[in-house]
Amino acid sequence: MAAIKLDGLSKTYKVKVRGEGLKNTFKSLVKPEYKEVEAVKNVSFSVDEGEMLAFIGPNGAGKSTTIKMLTGILHPTAGQAEVLGFNPVKDRKKLSYQIGAVFGQKSQLSFHLPPLDSFRLLSSVYEIEKTEYEKRLARLTELLELEEFLDSPVRKLSLGQRVRCEFAASLLHGPRILFLDEPTIGLDVVVKHKIRDLIKRLNKEEGVTVFLTSHDAGDIENLCRRAIVIDHGTVAVDMSVKKMKYDYLNKKVVSLKFNAETTLEETEGVTLIKHTPYAAKFSVDTRIAAIGRVIAGLDSDNIADITIEEPPMEEIIAAIYTKK
Amino acid sequence: MGKYLSLAGISVKNALVYRANVTGRIIFYFVFIFVFFSLWRMVYSGNEIAGYNLTQMVWYVCMTELVLFCSGAGIFGVMNHEVKSGAIAYELLRPWNYIYKQFAGTLGNMTFSASVFTLMAIVLGMIFVGPLPGFNAAAIPFIIVSFMLSITMNFFFLMSLGLLAFYFEENSPFYFIYQKLLFVFGMLIPIEFLPLWAQGILRYLPFSLITWGPAKMVVDFSFGYAMQIIPLQVIWCIAAVSLAHFVFSRGVRKLNVHGG
Repeated sequence: MAAIKLDGLSKTYKVKVRGEGLKNTFKSLVKPEYKEVEAVKNVSFSVDEGEMLAFIGPNGAGKSTTIKMLTGILHPTAGQAEVLGFNPVKDRKKLSYQIGAVFGQKSQLSFHLPPLDSFRLLSSVYEIEKTEYEKRLARLTELLELEEFLDSPVRKLSLGQRVRCEFAASLLHGPRILFLDEPTIGLDVVVKHKIRDLIKRLNKEEGVTVFLTSHDAGDIENLCRRAIVIDHGTVAVDMSVKKMKYDYLNKKVVSLKFNAETTLEETEGVTLIKHTPYAAKFSVDTRIAAIGRVIAGLDSDNIADITIEEPPMEEIIAAIYTKK
Repeated sequence: MGKYLSLAGISVKNALVYRANVTGRIIFYFVFIFVFFSLWRMVYSGNEIAGYNLTQMVWYVCMTELVLFCSGAGIFGVMNHEVKSGAIAYELLRPWNYIYKQFAGTLGNMTFSASVFTLMAIVLGMIFVGPLPGFNAAAIPFIIVSFMLSITMNFFFLMSLGLLAFYFEENSPFYFIYQKLLFVFGMLIPIEFLPLWAQGILRYLPFSLITWGPAKMVVDFSFGYAMQIIPLQVIWCIAAVSLAHFVFSRGVRKLNVHGG
């Protein structure tokens, strides 16, 4: 069953155009001119229940706008969205019990109060029963290791601690869909891992659908099977992360160490990156030269060590973004 | 209902965090009353002006200032900021009515301010001019109702002005004008100081009903006056809440949140 369905979803807004200089300032005062910006243009796709979708794209592509339309925060200019059978704008309140969101760049906790106060407030806002709340809080406290700072004011927490609390706050009411808008922005590796583990567990144990935007290739690679790339407000790519890697990843990097002094030559599809007498690094375009062949063509007795790498996810994403 | 009560509860906690803020406002209140006391002492020469003697006049200003210090005037700035910065995004994600949520969230602060500044008003009134002659304790329930209505009305008007941020890039001029209207049509001077024709209009307008309405009830109570003012306040209160609803529900469609 589709948890999220978008059908021709669009969002246009007006921006005042102001010319430079005094004359234009007056002009815009008397007769303001507007420019229409199409943030999201006719976007259609659906996300299955229990799926973890990476919704990626360069800055300003329309990711956040889409998320905010799906959560009922922004009103679409045209088209339809359906989330868990609800129209997010019309049934905003009903839907809100079923979804959770973390916006990495915004906070939902009371700045001056300990997170525990915010949690308690949310439990009454979401009408969570006391025993249920305590159970849920205990679980999240354990999973996210919140124990030691639950009662320090939020303003005294580090970013990592705060974001972990943001996650707890978004998950208290047991949402069926979790919208994550750059949740790991600015976090260190350890916290990132903790958060990824949490998301994975929620997905596995509770069947939570995850809708993730991130600029962190690791998030996408580790969590999602499917990725949608949005650019200039339209869907540019919609495919599995595996296929994306395969399609955009017709490049392998081979590093070699030799026993004896060796000289390698470039052949078709093989480009040398670095070459010293006892080592070489080259990339293979697998559309032109099969990687097996290239390796077979080497003098195996002379090879002391070999590493074959795929270019990192980041490069793949960069390739997709710059292709258009 | 439970969730709004919890919100009010947490807003008391929040109010207590801003101790420096409260101290600042207490000093400000004192300065205000002191300046007006000095002004009116210069103006009065033992007689009445438009039916108010000096004692009544000073108590009057204590009361109009009390309304403004309790109205959670910060709401304009809060709305303005939430809409413009996009902080409203999280707010719209919750299962609550945004407008009542904001009211509940300020209620704690208002109650706290009301207790602090009522005390201030009484203390300063007593120090500067002494007790009000002819003050009747039976008037207190009417006074409390009238104050609550005027604070609520003022809150929702301020909120509506703040929510104009949905429509205008720069909405502070509206706030500025509103503040000045409150100031001249009741806060600074009772409307009896103005020509009769102006009084005739002003006694039905929210600006005077917010300040003059409850303040006059304190300094010159009569049952007939209370029965005339309170229903009007109720009507304007409903109007203010409806206006906030209208501005919000239409405005939220225009909302844009940029950058994350």
